[in-house]
Amino acid sequence: MTQPPILAVERLVKHFPTKSGLVRAVDDITFDVSTGDTLGLVGESGSGKTTTAQCVLGIYPPTSGQILFEGRPIGVAFNRREKELKRKIRIVFQDPGSSLNPKRTIKQILSVPLQVHGIGLARERLALMSRLLEMVELPPTEYLYKYPQAIGGGEKQMVAIARALATNPRFIVLDEPTSALDVSVQGKIINLLLRLGNELELTYLFITHDLSLMRNVATRVAIMYLGKLCEIARTQEFFRTPLHPYTKMLLSSIPVVTDEEESLKPAKIVSKGEIPSPVNVPSGCSFHLRCPERMPICLESDPEMRVLDTGHLIRCHLYSP
Amino acid sequence: MDPLLAINDLYVGFRVFEGHLRVLNGVWLDVREGERVGLVGETGCGKTTTVKSILRVLPTPPARITGGRILYHGKDILKMTRRQTAMLRRHELTAIFQDPLQSLNPVFTIGTQLRDIVKDSAIGRGHRLSRRQIESRCLEALRVTGMPDPERIMTNYPAQLSGGMRQRVCIAEALSTNARLMLADEPTTNLDVTIQDQILRKLDELVEQQGVSVVMITHSMGVVRDLTQRVNIMYAGTIVESGPTRVLLESPMHPYTQGLMASVPKLTGEGISEGIPGRIPNYLDPPSGCRFHPRCEHRMEICETSAPPFYEPDEGHRVACYLYRGTP
Repeated sequence: MTQPPILAVERLVKHFPTKSGLVRAVDDITFDVSTGDTLGLVGESGSGKTTTAQCVLGIYPPTSGQILFEGRPIGVAFNRREKELKRKIRIVFQDPGSSLNPKRTIKQILSVPLQVHGIGLARERLALMSRLLEMVELPPTEYLYKYPQAIGGGEKQMVAIARALATNPRFIVLDEPTSALDVSVQGKIINLLLRLGNELELTYLFITHDLSLMRNVATRVAIMYLGKLCEIARTQEFFRTPLHPYTKMLLSSIPVVTDEEESLKPAKIVSKGEIPSPVNVPSGCSFHLRCPERMPICLESDPEMRVLDTGHLIRCHLYSP
Repeated sequence: MDPLLAINDLYVGFRVFEGHLRVLNGVWLDVREGERVGLVGETGCGKTTTVKSILRVLPTPPARITGGRILYHGKDILKMTRRQTAMLRRHELTAIFQDPLQSLNPVFTIGTQLRDIVKDSAIGRGHRLSRRQIESRCLEALRVTGMPDPERIMTNYPAQLSGGMRQRVCIAEALSTNARLMLADEPTTNLDVTIQDQILRKLDELVEQQGVSVVMITHSMGVVRDLTQRVNIMYAGTIVESGPTRVLLESPMHPYTQGLMASVPKLTGEGISEGIPGRIPNYLDPPSGCRFHPRCEHRMEICETSAPPFYEPDEGHRVACYLYRGTP
């Protein structure tokens, strides 16, 4: 990697104390995202993907560990962050139906970030908003004065993207931006995001549970299980030689539509069990309960993340020296 | 052989404040004995309305069934009395819905709910079971769905179980009635892929054993590929294409199906197509002729004026599109 990472997460821990015990939502994860990359963060529900994103955004301050953005630590709560930082890191949420205020017009929705960050003079803002809508391929004259309920789910998500772009950000967290949408609409959104990413040199942290989507979108893929990262690799490498047993289980569980894809899946690993509760994390490697290749050591000690020669990061005893 | 279930030219509408929503617009669907049929379409295309019409659980009003027939073993479900449809639901049909939290009663334990079903379906068949028989059948029903520790599950409330477990309970309930036809309405859409894989595999196995016919409703092409023999593609209240699953997915004919297949992200990583422009029509004022024509890139004049009939270019592979006019 020649370019320095725009985002580096080091030993990030986020625990939530609850009545039933300590919820280990994110438990000691380390990763980085280089400028211009799209990191796909993949995992099942309850694996801590969204909590990770929310720590990056500052919605939660981390319990311990560091988050570095452009080399500077940003691991503080949202209300203590400087405005400039909030301008640079933006988010697009999963469900545009609930992330857009139903009582505001699209013009009002888009004007908020412009006002907050003091972008443009008041009289220039209409033109700025029109430009934003054009960027996401919505004709401004048609959409500026509409309410979210009057437009389709895909279009709402485009408005949400336009709102994220309003402050000219460097880094956008995409929290399952297409999982509430139909596949025929998903294609459009994804292609739009990829095009904008290229044009505006954006870096994405793309959170999803859809591995086949990541195959087409991400430049690197990270797999998360129960608050920990299992495996990180470049997309090509990742899908050519998936290493972690959990990754293999995920890949072989994906329903695919052609024979050609079927041949790309690893040999059928029958998935069993469910993700345990993050309150009672199993001892040793947290995946050992469901792992088809469990060894005695997996019950006792948690493996460390290792870097293989190919740049593939893996956290599993099978690959210990 | 007569099909087990045959939907012929079904029209269903909803009366709303703004007018009349014409949702189902001539749906045709056949399910043969022991066959597994997929019904695929996007949000709002009328999949669930179709299922509810079969079960006769659509609230009327606002819904209105304005035309067509639903034949079950040759008898029209739409002409049955309330009592007859209730018997049909009790013994012949069974359903699994998308959200198990809504299909399970939150204030009764799993055991209470499952025992009722087992007891009543046996009474309907004319025999009364002893308490011990009911208990053992319930435990067996849970056990075959791969549930660990069924004795404990019986005493749990739905809220104490995970999503995958709840859906297993629903499958256990659905299969414990010994029904002939199962309507599975997006049974795994809310679940993670590894859990989806487990549930579908189990369902597949159980359906195979009991010889139940299945209508699998989903928006996932991958799921129908694994589970069904024939598939019907639905768009805006009409069936646009139907055929053997593998053949249809391999070489889709209808422009809508082609667009849909191209938009599915694939593991081969060849990128994602732009999808299909536009969106599903407003049912208050649906497009004339073929309902897909405003979004279709092969639009012809005739598409705007009249709805295409089914053509059958290949044996068993039918498509409702004027592009295939020359074929039989």
